Amino acid sequence: YGDLHTFELQAPTRLIEWARGNRVCVAGYGQSGGNEILQLLPPPSLQVKETQGLCPERDFKVECGGFSNRPVYSLKYVPDTSLLVTSGPPDSSLQVWQVSAEDSDVIKPVSAIPTESDTGQSWAKIATISARAPWVLHGSRLNSVQITEVESRKNIYMAAARNSEELSGLAFLDCNTLLLCSAKGQLCLADIRQPQSPLEAASVPSAPCGERWCMGVGRGPQGSDSSPRPVARLSSGGHLTLTDVRKISESLASAKCRVPSPSSGAEFLCVSWAPALESCLAVSGFDGTVHVYDAQSWDGSGREAEPIFVHKGHAFGGSDSSGGPPSVTTHTWHPQKARTLLSAASDGSLHVWDWVQPGGNC
Amino acid sequence: MPEIKVTPLGAGQDVGRSCILVSIAGKNVMLDCGMHMGYNDDRRFPDFSYITQNGRLTDFLDCVIISHFHLDHCGALPYFSEMVGYDGPIYMTHPTKAICPILLEDYRKITVDKKGETNFFTSQMIKDCMKKVVAVHLHQTVQVDEELEIKAYYAGHVLGAAMFQIKVGCESVVYTGDYNMTPDRHLGAAWIDKCRPDLLISESTYATTIRDSKRCRERDFLKKVHETVERGGKVLIPVFALGRAQELCILLETFWERMNLKAPIYFSTGLTEKANHYYKLFITWTNQKIRKTFVQRNMFEFKHIKAFDRAFADNPGPMVVFATPGMLHAGQSLQIFRKWAGNEKNMVIMPGYCVQGTVGHKILSGQRKLEMEGRQILEVKMQVEYMSFSAHADAKGIMQLIRQAEPRNVLLVHGEAKKMEFLKQKIEQEFHVNCYMPANGETTTIFTNPSIPVDISLGLLKRETAIGLLPDAKKPKLMHGTLIMKDNSFRLVSPEQALKELGLAEHQLRFTCRVHIQDPRKEHETVLRVYNHLKGVLKDYSVQHLPDGSITVESILIQATAHSEDQGTKVLLVSWTYQDEELGSYLTSLLKKGLPQSTA
Repeated sequence: YGDLHTFELQAPTRLIEWARGNRVCVAGYGQSGGNEILQLLPPPSLQVKETQGLCPERDFKVECGGFSNRPVYSLKYVPDTSLLVTSGPPDSSLQVWQVSAEDSDVIKPVSAIPTESDTGQSWAKIATISARAPWVLHGSRLNSVQITEVESRKNIYMAAARNSEELSGLAFLDCNTLLLCSAKGQLCLADIRQPQSPLEAASVPSAPCGERWCMGVGRGPQGSDSSPRPVARLSSGGHLTLTDVRKISESLASAKCRVPSPSSGAEFLCVSWAPALESCLAVSGFDGTVHVYDAQSWDGSGREAEPIFVHKGHAFGGSDSSGGPPSVTTHTWHPQKARTLLSAASDGSLHVWDWVQPGGNC
Repeated sequence: MPEIKVTPLGAGQDVGRSCILVSIAGKNVMLDCGMHMGYNDDRRFPDFSYITQNGRLTDFLDCVIISHFHLDHCGALPYFSEMVGYDGPIYMTHPTKAICPILLEDYRKITVDKKGETNFFTSQMIKDCMKKVVAVHLHQTVQVDEELEIKAYYAGHVLGAAMFQIKVGCESVVYTGDYNMTPDRHLGAAWIDKCRPDLLISESTYATTIRDSKRCRERDFLKKVHETVERGGKVLIPVFALGRAQELCILLETFWERMNLKAPIYFSTGLTEKANHYYKLFITWTNQKIRKTFVQRNMFEFKHIKAFDRAFADNPGPMVVFATPGMLHAGQSLQIFRKWAGNEKNMVIMPGYCVQGTVGHKILSGQRKLEMEGRQILEVKMQVEYMSFSAHADAKGIMQLIRQAEPRNVLLVHGEAKKMEFLKQKIEQEFHVNCYMPANGETTTIFTNPSIPVDISLGLLKRETAIGLLPDAKKPKLMHGTLIMKDNSFRLVSPEQALKELGLAEHQLRFTCRVHIQDPRKEHETVLRVYNHLKGVLKDYSVQHLPDGSITVESILIQATAHSEDQGTKVLLVSWTYQDEELGSYLTSLLKKGLPQSTA
């Protein structure tokens, strides 16, 4: 490790979102209400370029907080506004909140964006953008994907999909293009300027059925001219596939990561690209570890890949609320510090760690 | 409504001096008397003119309580007691009483000798002030006077820190001072019983913090020490007497053992004379587990830690030295610092807060050229690190304490208003109690609901139990009687007895109402109609037709007469006493509706 800080949140979170000024947001997902949304100011040691060892301020500060009756499964800030959007069971409606850190430290609920009720305990996946206006892209199934303007709650776009597969992720590739990923691993592209045309889909190469998939969309460091990153898809069986969004029906490379058995299910699967490193990605959600891989050496064979670093810190924590060993619920890369990651687990722990590349560069 | 008034004179909504005035059931108590470390002028003292504009404060305060020895809680005490004037009792725990004067004297020396201030308390004042101190034990109820009692609870945080319960009759306030809910190596966690005070005053400095784990801090500390020693440098750790120093010693000793390091570690013996005394104080203040550790390893029986001699500072090669005083303002630690400051291989690690004006404070603020006595300039090339292990309660800890004590109201001090809104809502939502955050000088009034015991006369008790059902121990029983307040006693007696005792005659109030009814028949027939009607409607009441032609319903009298001018109209006179007001009104409205057509 280059550095390691461990913190304990009062309640476990399954999301870590970055906000303006390197702030971080976490939220509780307890079923019985009383969940807190916390916007945290990281310690100064995470904000400067070089890490300092015994810096006087080593703590996260809760900058503001809000209360949610629902469990918060997903949270996204709306860029260029002081709003954020959350979603969570029991339905796929969204809640809009106002963050006003100067006047008071309470995150207030402002409005809700309702959606047609769905069968089963579904919840909406969300993505936000502020290109023409603050928009939120949301939906819980392929045929319920829509874009709503956040402040006016007006519906801007509705995807014309024929099947009602469950969604596992969605993202804006740019202000006109959407990328959707279904739980079965199918990727779909959509252009919001052509709402009537059906979604272009690509299915997953040779993977066993019954696995759940999630995706990770990479963005290079801001202002870079590098070509867009491939989309990574991760399955609950440990399969990783890389696909270029410009040639969505082909797969660029694939690999398999080691999955412990029995694994803890697919609820917290998470894969993400390092913003400041070429071809490094991190994978978590199978147990109490986070794996970092270098995808440069991957080819199309799908054989097992060795991680270049494994963070095991969460596995040594206490037990989580269900009595079992803690599972990592989410992880995220620091936008500027190349090798720093934040990860959270089901026992409430929050780790900030900086890994060292053994040998070579990544 | 009886009320408790709280006015922070400091630590209302800022971190600095703590000084809170509480007014409870006619008693005035001052909680802490701290100095604001950031100011150099009179702003560093609390504003005592709030209590009285002139003269001594003895008459206005029943007692003063000091929670622990940190200067922001006791720094203004000698100023308050000797320069403003207070001769009443000052309560604190035994360790606090032992350590306070040392810190106050140190502080006085820095301020007067080093900075040349004049309006400050003297050494004699500190001594005179401490003579007014009454030391208390944990969980010991101390009677300040006949009505006011206080009790100290373990607060963690530092050696001797306590939370205090202040009780007058059945109203009580708990003041936490600074406390900590997670045990560390040498102190336990704060604890209080379910005393259900009317008000809990809690500090909230770290309420908005999510702390880095202790192990990470310790690991980083050891890493720094190791790196310095490995490259041949010397590490100076200025410490204050007892407390954290022991913790760091144990930490280093274990690390040295594990890594098989050879560099010597020294502990300054400037304290040996008082060390045993402190040692005994220290032992009774920690919990069982730590006590056992210390019994096995006496402070001076560490394998790798030896007593320091001044001459060792000039020895070549790496070493680690713990030396006093903690802020590098004088004595041995400053001497060693001067010797080692010029070498960049060396390191000084400051383990806590340093008062403005001290060398410790200067180097932590980044100063690298210091002016010493005799106008000598000292260039500081050694590495300066700061490491804080001080323990305060975070949001989770505050919630835990509230859960333990179950107060009816909560008041937060030591935090910024805007940053406490979220915590306030959190407390209000979870515990359904009011949460207050007053600013300095702002008075908060808390209304209490005390229970007042009243004697009840036997006759009344017997009468009331004869009427109603069997008494249910869990449900309150409503009784009617007269309350007599004489001198300081309260008695509940029946109205008749009260009248007798007071020598008053009972007055009867009687109401009479006239109801007109259209009925051409004779009076006695009308009466019969009314009687039958009422008997039918008022089945649960005693309705009687008397021989003299009148009707009684319970004790209400109804008589019928013919209207003087109109034979077709009958006038019913309904008459009742004040006690039967309800029934009387009901009867009247019933009769006004008229009689039913068919009658028996």
